[in-house]
Amino acid sequence: MKDKIKIFLESDLLERYLLGATSAVETARVERYIVMYPDVRKQFEELQENLEIYAKMHAIPTPDGLKAKILQRIRKQDLGRRKVRRFAIAASIAAFLFAGSSYFFWNQNMNLQDENTMVNNRIQNLEADMKQQLEDVRNQFIVLNNPQTKKYLVNGNEKARELKAVAYVNPVKKLSYINVRNLPNLPEDKVYQMWAEVNGDMVNLGIIKSIEDKDKLLPLPYGKNAIGYITIEPMGGNPSPTVQNIVANISY
Amino acid sequence: MPPGYFLISHPAMSILLEKHIVELLQERNEKAISLLYDHYGDTLYGVALKVVRDEDLAQDVVQESFVKIWKKSDTYDPSKAKLFTWLFRIIRNTAIDKLRSVQTKSDKEIQLDVSNVYNLGIDDIRPEFMDVRENLEKIEHKYQVVLEALFFQGMTQQEASDELDIPLGTIKSRLKIGLRELGKIYGSTLMMLILLILK
Repeated sequence: MKDKIKIFLESDLLERYLLGATSAVETARVERYIVMYPDVRKQFEELQENLEIYAKMHAIPTPDGLKAKILQRIRKQDLGRRKVRRFAIAASIAAFLFAGSSYFFWNQNMNLQDENTMVNNRIQNLEADMKQQLEDVRNQFIVLNNPQTKKYLVNGNEKARELKAVAYVNPVKKLSYINVRNLPNLPEDKVYQMWAEVNGDMVNLGIIKSIEDKDKLLPLPYGKNAIGYITIEPMGGNPSPTVQNIVANISY
Repeated sequence: MPPGYFLISHPAMSILLEKHIVELLQERNEKAISLLYDHYGDTLYGVALKVVRDEDLAQDVVQESFVKIWKKSDTYDPSKAKLFTWLFRIIRNTAIDKLRSVQTKSDKEIQLDVSNVYNLGIDDIRPEFMDVRENLEKIEHKYQVVLEALFFQGMTQQEASDELDIPLGTIKSRLKIGLRELGKIYGSTLMMLILLILK
């Protein structure tokens, strides 16, 4: 340890530190030594004293007016600094406002973009829907307006006397529709379900939801000598028809 | 010599003054600069002049240094160095930088005016400083050379050893002895003057 301090004191580090001629790393080292070792601290104190004595020996009266110049420069600089500080405050406020408004507009822009996408999707869906419906109407019109289209009146049997439906069948276009005009009321837990027997297969055509569907033409699968049935089934429909509950049949 | 000059140089007084100035500096009170100038201005100007060897340049150096002192006043740490050490570092480094920039400029313009650069301004020296000058002359030349090289010419001990062709060990011992001698001479003159004033 003693050697370490001796080597340190023999180097010119302490003297260079005194004069402010050490690098950052050297400065840190010297300051550590000064704090840690009383010998180094004592030496540094002595060096500082001697430096002051030595420097004072070179004192020369300052020229007149130099003090006033210095004070003036310092006042000017302080004023400048105050101005800079004021400017900095104004600039930060401006930057803050700008950042705030930018975020606000960005957010708004994002919302509008989302809304735009949503509206576009809706328009596309509507367009597709409209096309589909127009196509349906066109097909229906073709079928209904065709001279070869045959119209069958369907009446319910004794289980549902009030049931009235009209079926349109076009053997040339191989298209058929049914329009249920009237359905007798059913208990809450029962529904009407439509079926078609085409080429020996029983096809489920789904549940007739309500009488509001009466202006709708429901497409029927076409087949030669096909038979359509309407049955009463439990709520939710049935995978296969309950034969004893047939209320109407349509041969076409 | 005005009594105040020496009284303020007395260690106890200077410690009090130092504390006061440091407080003012930390409060960013302009009075600190005024006090610093009054009590260290002559010394700092002397140091600057010793380095740059030109009165106008030395004045510039003192001005720039005081601006630096004011700007960097919050970086001064009294636990690390005496106030004067901190001031000395600033003035010395500013002066050396100034000298280098002037020298580069002169080299470029090829107009080195020797008589001007080496103007020491001896005529300007006021009688009250003569005692100190005489004291300085009392120090043996061999010590003075070493001290000047290290303090005013910005040399490291190694550089001084090379430049002056003196072994490094001798440089170190001359620096130490030289500074000690200085202390003795200066101290005795100071005591004498204080005694005279008190009488």
